[in-house]
Amino acid sequence: MVNIQELRTMDYKIVVIGSHHAIIQSIIDFDYLTGKLQPSISAIIAGGRKFERYFWGNEEVMIPVFPSLGKLPADLQQTVTLFANVSSGRRVLAYTQEVLQLPSILGGVVFAEDVPEEHALSLYRKAQSLHKFILGPASVGLLIPTSLKLGAIGGVDYRQLIDSHLFTEGNIAVFSASGGMTNEIIRIVALQNKRLSFALAFGGDRFPILQPKDAFRIAQQDPSTEGIVYFGELGGTDEYALADMIKSGEVTKPVVAYIAGAISDYFEEPPQFGHAKAMAKNKDESAKIKAQTLREAGAQVAESFDEFVKLIASLPEKSLTEKEYTTQMKELSQRHHALIATSVSADKNGVATLLGENLLTFAQNSSFAAIVSSMFLGKKIKSTELESCIDFILRLLVDHGPYVSGAVNTIVTARAGRDLPSALASGLLTIGPRFGGAINQAASNWLTGVTKEMRSVDFVEDFAKKRTYIAGIGHKKYRVDMPDPRVTEILAFVDNLEKKRFTTFARSTEQLTVHKKGNLILNVDGAIACVLLDILSEKEDYSDDQLQELVDIEFFNTLFVLSRSVGFIAHYLDQKRLDEGLFRLPDTLVADVRRK
Amino acid sequence: MARVKLSELTAKKLLHNYLEIPYAGTDSPNSLDPSKKYVVKVDEGIKKRMKQGLVAVNVSVDEISPFVQQLHNKGYTNIIIEEFVPHENSQEKYLAIERVREGFKIFYSDTGGIEIEESGNIHEEIVHAENETEETAKIEQVLGVPQLFISQIMGVMNTYHFSFLEINPLVVQDQNVYILDLAVEVDTAGSFFVDNAWGPQDYRYGHIKDKTEEENNIEDLVSKSQASFKFVPLNMNGSIFLLLSGGGASIVIADEVANLGKGDTLANYGEYSGNPNEEETYIYTKNLLSYMQKSTSEKKVLIIAGGVANFTDVKKTFLGVIRAIEEISDSMKQSEVKVYVRRGGPNQVEGLALMKEFLEKKGLYGQVSGPDIVLTEIVREAIKHVE
Repeated sequence: MVNIQELRTMDYKIVVIGSHHAIIQSIIDFDYLTGKLQPSISAIIAGGRKFERYFWGNEEVMIPVFPSLGKLPADLQQTVTLFANVSSGRRVLAYTQEVLQLPSILGGVVFAEDVPEEHALSLYRKAQSLHKFILGPASVGLLIPTSLKLGAIGGVDYRQLIDSHLFTEGNIAVFSASGGMTNEIIRIVALQNKRLSFALAFGGDRFPILQPKDAFRIAQQDPSTEGIVYFGELGGTDEYALADMIKSGEVTKPVVAYIAGAISDYFEEPPQFGHAKAMAKNKDESAKIKAQTLREAGAQVAESFDEFVKLIASLPEKSLTEKEYTTQMKELSQRHHALIATSVSADKNGVATLLGENLLTFAQNSSFAAIVSSMFLGKKIKSTELESCIDFILRLLVDHGPYVSGAVNTIVTARAGRDLPSALASGLLTIGPRFGGAINQAASNWLTGVTKEMRSVDFVEDFAKKRTYIAGIGHKKYRVDMPDPRVTEILAFVDNLEKKRFTTFARSTEQLTVHKKGNLILNVDGAIACVLLDILSEKEDYSDDQLQELVDIEFFNTLFVLSRSVGFIAHYLDQKRLDEGLFRLPDTLVADVRRK
Repeated sequence: MARVKLSELTAKKLLHNYLEIPYAGTDSPNSLDPSKKYVVKVDEGIKKRMKQGLVAVNVSVDEISPFVQQLHNKGYTNIIIEEFVPHENSQEKYLAIERVREGFKIFYSDTGGIEIEESGNIHEEIVHAENETEETAKIEQVLGVPQLFISQIMGVMNTYHFSFLEINPLVVQDQNVYILDLAVEVDTAGSFFVDNAWGPQDYRYGHIKDKTEEENNIEDLVSKSQASFKFVPLNMNGSIFLLLSGGGASIVIADEVANLGKGDTLANYGEYSGNPNEEETYIYTKNLLSYMQKSTSEKKVLIIAGGVANFTDVKKTFLGVIRAIEEISDSMKQSEVKVYVRRGGPNQVEGLALMKEFLEKKGLYGQVSGPDIVLTEIVREAIKHVE
């Protein structure tokens, strides 16, 4: 059951399942306008991207997106308290069952129409047994002024929220099956100079999971509520339970109601109106009889909608102190989405910053390696282990002779008389799967092997079956009996680590491959990859998912690109100094071949 | 959509298949066995067929075609033909099952047949989802059906998203069960999950009615859209035409027409909701206007109204409405149709301003209001125009 008073005071976190931009923005606008310090939405479950951008006031915030509830970070799994399921009717059952399993979840709302009755009922039974609440299916949600907007309820345009005075706590509870009428009545309440204690929509389906009788009980228990407004429709028999509650004294707060659907009598046979439940098959389900039953029980039931408005006006008064929202209105009306979002650096009010820190201070207090690794990782690094390892890698990769494709290109371009950026770019453009780009692929290999808990034997066998090389393994010159001295030095960086999961895996893979062929040793790329993975994991607290993200964005190739640029620049300057003239291949070095 | 009647033939095939009872019902009078006797019935979801002469019992093959022809002449196109099962009246039982919140509600009687509703001899029992089989055992005993028969039917209902099922009569002969007449309602929201076991072609509406062209067009629109559209003609020559938004608000507005004593001049009930796009509101409005133009009423008024929408974009939907009206605005002006508008929601300021300017320009302006007037006030204003 929902405890409104508890929701008013608690610091809750919402997960939105599915993406509905307008609804999510309206929840965030509500949070902003109520003066919260941050959006109540902690995560969105959707495919295809990592973040969605929303306005927080007139600035922008990135709300993290995860492909499934299972991929929510552990801390969110533990702390999410409410859900808004805006996925389609077909997926409601599975997603909602899953979200109800989160340990701190209290309940939420299901927005979709067209949820099968059988699914709604199995969610109903699940919610009962787990003591969670679910509004819907087909509900626009739950609204508690000044504290919670869970769903489209109250509108998706911030102007609607302000017009309906949703930032002042009142004493009137509003209930309706219809989402549109919930909002209409919220506006009527505001126009009558009253304010809401809370409002909720059951949804127009045949089996709303939270029923009208539950809502009445919640309102009766809520200390702020002094009057109940109920909008019902023809179809279903919920009103009989409400009448019983009023008669028995379980509900003592004044109830005003309107039951729509008298028009049904003008149809040849009972019509199906817009909501699935809105069809009166027999007299008991007709608007007229249900209205009469409620009236006899003691509720004030309007004959017409005009009268309904007057009855709402007659509910208890409450003195109001309200804030003005003109500044916020103006502020929000001027907002617009930025073309570029960035978190690396800024230059505002004459102060340049790197990762939020003053550029000058950062530069004065950090080594080049520390700055490089912090900027590449997008946050300031913590460990000297990473700093010294990256410093060594940057120095080590600086150049490896003029024979490699990048150096050759730089040299040829320089000799053609082009400028530094052209020659450098020409060299850099050769970096890829065959030249210099293997560190990232090696990192991907070690990460897959370790996270899937593969045995090295199976890992090697997989590559053998696909007839592909293992990036990170193999060298032209060095062999198992003549080890690469650079690799020994690189591997020394994990000597003092505790687990070395990745390096251990890479080494055990190497033990298998050198048996096949002596030159299939762990090479520089493979060694850099496993050492960086281990340091990031153990000294910088990267989770395996975060390491995967670094692989996905090609982080592990950055060090080669940066460091080798130094070599290319050196080759450019060298060629200019030597003034070699235009390069042309001698005829003898070009072979005429015919393909068979 | 919601609960809709299913073709008896489709329902019987599914049910027999699930219960593993052979069934040879068909809708075709061809390739029947001349040595057997048959039953021919109308399959339109109509109640009390027997009393209306829509059933032929114990007929031979050469009697079938003339009867089918007779039904066709009356406008019934869907029929069901099955083998005749000779039985005693005392072997007729009654069983109906409805999906309810607690599980299933079972209505049963050991004396079934066409007089069942008058007999008042139906027992009711709620079977809870948690312990079905124990609770149904007793009922199975009373009806004399095999053990787990009712559980199995509830299994069919869950598998195929049936919301209601009625067998009358259910004939029990020794250990054999014959399902003679079957009525089923399906939950249309379940259609995605039944793997094409049934679909819109199997829906039956309990009557045969020639649909208007506009109804057909709008049905077509419904099948292709995420949003929801309703259009029910009430009086072909009515004078009050409704283009409403929101499942709840639209009933309130239609109610007001009835409250003001104008129910019999109401031409239609029409409603869209769920944030349709501009193109969809255009198509919907176009069909409504086409229906309006056919009315012979001398004075006509169009009410475009709805509550304060939560997420339906007022401006976007109005753009579609305006486009449709624009196409016939001259002829609407000539026949002095006036348009009355009341709406709120996202982008209401822009949407209402747009609508007002358009209606004034075209000489169709009755009134355009936002949520500052009560939802039903627009109805009173509009009705003045046709009085």
